[in-house]
Amino acid sequence: MIGKTIPLLLLLPALVFAASLDGWMDVQTGGDSLSPEPGRLELGGMLSTDNWTLILEEQYSHEDSSGIVPRILNTYSRTDIDFIVDAGPVTINPDLCWTVDLGDKPEMVLPVQAGVAYREGFIRPGLSLAADFSENYHVFVKGLYWNRDLKQENGYDLAWTESRLNGGISCETSGFTLNMSGLYHKTNSDFIDYESTWGRFDIAFSTEPQSLPAHFYVTGDVTYSFYNGTNFLGNDLADRFTSRIRLVRMIVPSLAVNTTFESVIDYDGEIRPACTSAESRIIYHFMRSREVPSIITLSGKLSTSSIRTERAVLFSRINFYRGLSLLLNAEARSTPTSVAGAGDTRKWIVFGPGLEYQLATTLRVWGIIEQERTDLEEVEVWWRVRTGLEFYPGSLSL
Amino acid sequence: MTPYARVLVIVAAVLVLLSACKGPVESTQLIVDTDACTGCGECVEVCPYGAIEIIDGNAVIDPSLCHFCYRCVEQCPEGAIY
Ligand code: SF4
Ligand code: SF4
Repeated sequence: MIGKTIPLLLLLPALVFAASLDGWMDVQTGGDSLSPEPGRLELGGMLSTDNWTLILEEQYSHEDSSGIVPRILNTYSRTDIDFIVDAGPVTINPDLCWTVDLGDKPEMVLPVQAGVAYREGFIRPGLSLAADFSENYHVFVKGLYWNRDLKQENGYDLAWTESRLNGGISCETSGFTLNMSGLYHKTNSDFIDYESTWGRFDIAFSTEPQSLPAHFYVTGDVTYSFYNGTNFLGNDLADRFTSRIRLVRMIVPSLAVNTTFESVIDYDGEIRPACTSAESRIIYHFMRSREVPSIITLSGKLSTSSIRTERAVLFSRINFYRGLSLLLNAEARSTPTSVAGAGDTRKWIVFGPGLEYQLATTLRVWGIIEQERTDLEEVEVWWRVRTGLEFYPGSLSL
Repeated sequence: MTPYARVLVIVAAVLVLLSACKGPVESTQLIVDTDACTGCGECVEVCPYGAIEIIDGNAVIDPSLCHFCYRCVEQCPEGAIY
């Protein structure tokens, strides 16, 4: 009897709907002289039919603030369930996310000078609805609600909740898109008598000119965001005008240059240039006919606002035998720092070689050895090993 | 001059003019570059004020809770917060 039932049960899904099942896994781990093995495991599965998709993702992380001394360590698990239903032009997407902080509970500094609490996780249900009225008009609305598990040292629960609602409309004509959207966020904790609400209304316009010289792409967007609400000091949040332009030039088929400029201006009765940033990336593909194409990317980014950040990255993957490639990673950065005694700015360089094996799209295994030199009170040097495994066994038709 | 170089020169000139503008360069909010953010959540872990959440795969900063301590800026492996 059981012998007959099991094959019938296995056949049942195929009789009810034609579905496909996908699964994936991503593991990263590492360690250095300062850190007790940071690591991350992500598992995912997706069951989909023509009309609906169910996605389940599980993440288990042991995080460390690598490079910052003293380090902040936390272990948590995060589960995401998404159910997406396509009903003609309407998409309905209920989802649920919850995290559990394991091990040492991270501290959270509370507003209104209410001291500190300890994070233990949260549960966050959400619902989004989207509809395409025609090829050119799209509307969406999304709501999220957090119930945070925040406890004071004496074990009292802060009853901390947050709700967030946003929605908008976008219309597209050839080469132009207009987006209008609104956002409302409310945070509440009865226990410390804290309530804060803020909102934003965005008008955004983006363009992608169609008649440009060959191998030359430009996109530009401007957004004006009206804010209401206050920051942690009780000052009004300023309105913000953001403009961005992206230029992509394919010089030859294997070499492309990608450049982005961004300018942000705040307005709170007075016009303030708030941030200017520029980023450029050169991407060179070669030995494309091999099992794994080789690539060299060189990028640099600079931003200046009330803080200044600089970052330059060189990454190369050079395939030398079947799926085996040699990796090289080098990064130089400068950011503000919270490390006591290190001054306002921290400069650091990370570089090192690695090895990677790729088996088509199914498997990728890599390992990299890096040295980090950080300019703190004095120049600190440490070695780090990072490894990873990505596995995608492919899609299974049911 | 190629069209690309021409556009670059114009944009660079605009940026230089903008950066030379008088007045305080004082951002009232940090920026998350959603193209660069991978949603890894490292910024969430280091934020002492609980001001960051991952929504739809990107870090989102709550402007009413952020205290401008810049820990997330330093921590982000992609340099996506500035
Ligand atoms: S640390 Fe950086 S990349 Fe990771 S979620 Fe935060 S902003 Fe995104
Ligand atoms: S600057 Fe500090 S308070 Fe603000 S989001 Fe980043 S870590 Fe949190």
